[in-house]
Parts: sequence; structure tokens; C-alpha cells
Amino acid sequence: MVASLIKYARMWASLGRYTLARELSFRGNFLVKISVEILWLFILIAFFSTVFGRTKSIAGWDEWQYMFFVGCFFALNGLIETLFLDNCNEFAELVRTGDLDFLLLKPIDEQFLITCRRIDWGCALNIPMGFGVMGYSLYKIGGPVDPLSIPIFLMTFVSGAAIAYSFMLTLTSLSVWMVRNQSLMEMWWLFSSLARYPREIFVGTWASPIGVFFTFFLPILLVVNVPSQAMVGLLDWRMVGFTLIATVLCLGASRAFFRFALKSYRSASS
Amino acid sequence: MPIIEAQGLTKTYKVFQKKDGLLGALRGLYHREYKEVKAVDDVSFTIEPGEMVAFLGPNGAGKTTTLKMLSGLIYPTSGTAQVLDFLPWKREDEFRRKFALVMGQKNQLWWDLPAADSFQLHREIYSLPLADFEKTLADLTELLGVQKLTRQAVRELSLGERMKMELIAALLHQPEVLLLDEPTIGLDVVAQVAIQKCLREYHSQRGVTMLLTSHYMRDIEALCDRVLVITHGKLVYDGPLVGLTDRFGAEKLVKLLFDGPAPSDLGRFGEVTKVEGPTVDLKVERTRVAEVLGAILDAYNIVDVSVQDPPLEQTIAKVFQQAEPANVDA
Repeated sequence: MVASLIKYARMWASLGRYTLARELSFRGNFLVKISVEILWLFILIAFFSTVFGRTKSIAGWDEWQYMFFVGCFFALNGLIETLFLDNCNEFAELVRTGDLDFLLLKPIDEQFLITCRRIDWGCALNIPMGFGVMGYSLYKIGGPVDPLSIPIFLMTFVSGAAIAYSFMLTLTSLSVWMVRNQSLMEMWWLFSSLARYPREIFVGTWASPIGVFFTFFLPILLVVNVPSQAMVGLLDWRMVGFTLIATVLCLGASRAFFRFALKSYRSASS
Repeated sequence: MPIIEAQGLTKTYKVFQKKDGLLGALRGLYHREYKEVKAVDDVSFTIEPGEMVAFLGPNGAGKTTTLKMLSGLIYPTSGTAQVLDFLPWKREDEFRRKFALVMGQKNQLWWDLPAADSFQLHREIYSLPLADFEKTLADLTELLGVQKLTRQAVRELSLGERMKMELIAALLHQPEVLLLDEPTIGLDVVAQVAIQKCLREYHSQRGVTMLLTSHYMRDIEALCDRVLVITHGKLVYDGPLVGLTDRFGAEKLVKLLFDGPAPSDLGRFGEVTKVEGPTVDLKVERTRVAEVLGAILDAYNIVDVSVQDPPLEQTIAKVFQQAEPANVDA
């Protein structure tokens, strides 16, 4: 088990090295991508600064608690986009052209090779930038940080990433039947749109059922919410427990669905 | 004991029948019609370790589908297969370590990186010991004459060079079974010969079992003694290459050199396919060759005569055209 984990970690590192070498060979594209991501973070911060210029809190989150949430979203979204989004997005094309054949022939876990084979380094800067925003927000909040909250944050942050990955893997798997799956990006946009707001904003006749659905049935709202709450003093132990259970269930269900989908793979004619 | 065994392999696809025009496309949104296509129909054969077998058939005959089932890429609708004692479509790692599939029309190397980087990644995926990997890589690059090209981005290689790199990638882990789907398609004669030479030498050194599809008869003649012929998804012939002519070649080619201009009435003996001065090519039914030769020798002054099988391509083309599965017993 440990040897296998080391092998996969080494392989992931190698894939990371090769994709970095590849991206650096297209220097212009790489630099534009990084610039766009920096601009995007500043727009987000400017937007919420403007909002908090007119109100003290949003659904119980004050300005710097909310900025921590924004930083957490940015880091988590950046992590998913760096590690998985491109790979999942390309999966439909691999199915359509039949190039998936070669990935299925390798003596290695198919899910790993399909979803982790490329690292999108152009998005990687979002992760430290997100952590930077989180750090600055904590500084502005002031007061000592509960030492227990750090491991809980890290655990729920990884869980949030795993839930997001599971959601993406499930959408990706549909490509085996749909062949063209342009809706994946749109679904991911929906996912990230929902995850970028605290679940507490979903109140009222219409919004409340949406909040419940995307918390307990399709737990998108847990992804950023729970790790952020852990660090800004809004920790809810029940939600931490639920997030961990949801993570295991989502990972298991998405993997089973992915393997089921591969059984229907037809391999495009050569 | 066979290294590859297929029993009643059948693969049926449901294919969407798109109607013409915009109205048809709109109708397709709520009501779709499908047609069942039997790509492979009850195919059975065995291959012994070390054999080099050609898989022949026209486009759409079911060759590639069979190879894909044997490599575990797709599941059969019915029937079963054993490759290296594994059920291929379970895709166990141990099985995938022992075989390789080369597809002439598909690319497994990283397009924007040098082939050497893809080879390194291959080494890690297959957990190859460094010394073995370096030796095999050195042997293969030398055999194919591409030592100086491995640091060049794959997208900058010619088709022939790329195919050689693909072959190296497929052989690096020293597979026991090698499945090749048109490995020389689109290549010039020089590259074709280089690939054939590599496969032949690799086979003689390592005794690898090969199953090869190709539309180039030169590949088949250079590499394989045994052929499987498949048409309409059914296996119609399994035997030696030379036996194809005996089985399907109903005619012989009689080449005649006359002492003077060729006579014009030779059509009564068979089909005249070529006349050049005193030289005539005459296609004659196999059973009538002796009788026709006797009659011609009696009637004309002949300087030279030879009797040959028609070119293999012609025989194969005839097999593809004539061998309706219902009429031919395997």
C-alpha cells in the first residue's frame, strides 16, 4: 500500500515536471494565463470590498471572515483547476478520437492516469494567492488562532477538494455515452458559482430548499464553507463530521460510476 | 498451450441512424432509430507462443475490433478470450505489463515533448529497472536508426520517425504479446522496410508473439507465415499464407514467350491480361493448366513458358470480394 502510494506520488511528480516543461515551451500562453488569474483575484477582492463598503456583514460573515472565504475559494478552485479540470475537460475528446485507448492499456489505475496526467501550471499561482488572501484576512480578523482549527481546516480543505473532484469525475464519466461533453465546463461553472458563496445566504422560500439540496444531497456548498468556518471562528462540528462522511461517499460513488462508464467505452474506429 | 485464444468472440454495436436534413435532426432529439451492426461475429482461433500471425480483411471487416477485444479495450457482446492466461477486459495490471498495442493511426507519445520524455514516463508507469530500460532503449533506437531523434519534439518528427518512436514505446517493457494495427500505414517504402526489419529482429531475439493487421501485402509476406482472414465480421480462413492461393486462387498465370509476334486468338484458352510483342500473360483455370499448355505447345512455337500463382494482392482482393461468410467454411 505504502509502496504503491509512493509510486503514484513519484509518477504524479514526473507528470508535473513534463507538463511544466511543455507549458514553458509555450511561454506567451503561460504568461497570459497567469496574468488573467491575478486580474481575476483582484476583481473578486474589489467586488467584495465594494459590497462591504455598504454593509457590515453578509449572512453572518463580516468583511474579513468573508475575505477569508474568498481566499479559500480561490485556493481550492485553483487547486482543482491546476490538477484536474484540464484533464477532465479533455476526456470527451479522448473518447471521441479513441485516444483513450492508450491510457486504458497502461498498467496503472485508469482514473489516476485520466484525471491526473497533466498539471495546468498556469492556474497553480491561484493556490498561493488564495492562501495569501486567507493569511491577510486572518491578520485583519486579529486575535489568536485556535491551534485545533488548523488541522481541521486542512482536513476539510482536502475534503472539499475531494468533493469537487468527485463531482467533476462524475460529469467527466458521462462523456463515455455523450461523446461530446461541452456541458462539462458549464456544469463546473455552476459548481464553482455555488461554492463561492457561503451556504448561509440561501434563506427564504425559494433559496432555502436550494441550500438544503446543495448541502445534504449534492454537497457543493460544503466545499469552501466548512474549511473557512473552521478558521474564522464559526466552526460547526456537525458539519465537519458530515463533510468527512460526504467526502468518502462522493469519492466512492464517483469512482464506481467512472468504472461503470468505462465498461461502455466503444473506442472510436482507427 | 495457446498464448491467445478466442472463442466465439462477438461484438455488436448499436449505431444511431441519423435522418437527413434539419427536420430529421430535430426528430432525432426525441425519437432515435438504431441499427445493430455485428462488427465481429463468432470468431474463434488460437495462437501459439512465438507465432507471427497476420490478420487480413477489408476495411470494416472486424480486424481492429477483434484486436481491441484482445487487448481489453472493449468488452465483447458474447464469447470469450484468453490472452497470456488473462481475461483481457478485466485489464489487470499484470496483463497490461505483458502486452503492447501499436496503432498506426493513433499516437501515444506526448505531442509537444521529445520522445525521450515519453519513454521516461513509460519507464515509471511500467516500473522498469533503469539498467534494463537504458539497454532496451539503446538497442531499439539503434535497430531503428533514430538515436539522434529522441530529444526532438514528437510534433517535429516525420510520420516514419514518429512511427518508429511509437514502436520503441511499445517495446520498451518487452511485451510477450504484440498486437499491431496497421503499423506501416502511410509510410514510405524505406520506413516500411525499417519497421519490418525491427519487428523481424525483435521477434527472432525475444520470440514475441505478434498479431498484425496491415493492408500492405509486403508487411504480411515479410513477417507472417500464418494468416487469419476476416470479412463481414466472420473468420473465413485460418492457415498458412501460401495456402491462401490454393484455397482461393482458382486461376494460374501462364507467361508465354512466342518465337515471333503473339497470336491473336489466345482468348480461347483463357483471359489474356497482357500482350507485349511476343510476350503474353494468360490467366487459366487451375484445373485446365496442363490441357491448355499442351494445346498451345502443339499449336505455336514457344521460346519460354512459366506458370505462376497470381500476385498475392489479387488473391486477397478476390477473397474479400467473394468470401461471403455463408458460402465459406472456416
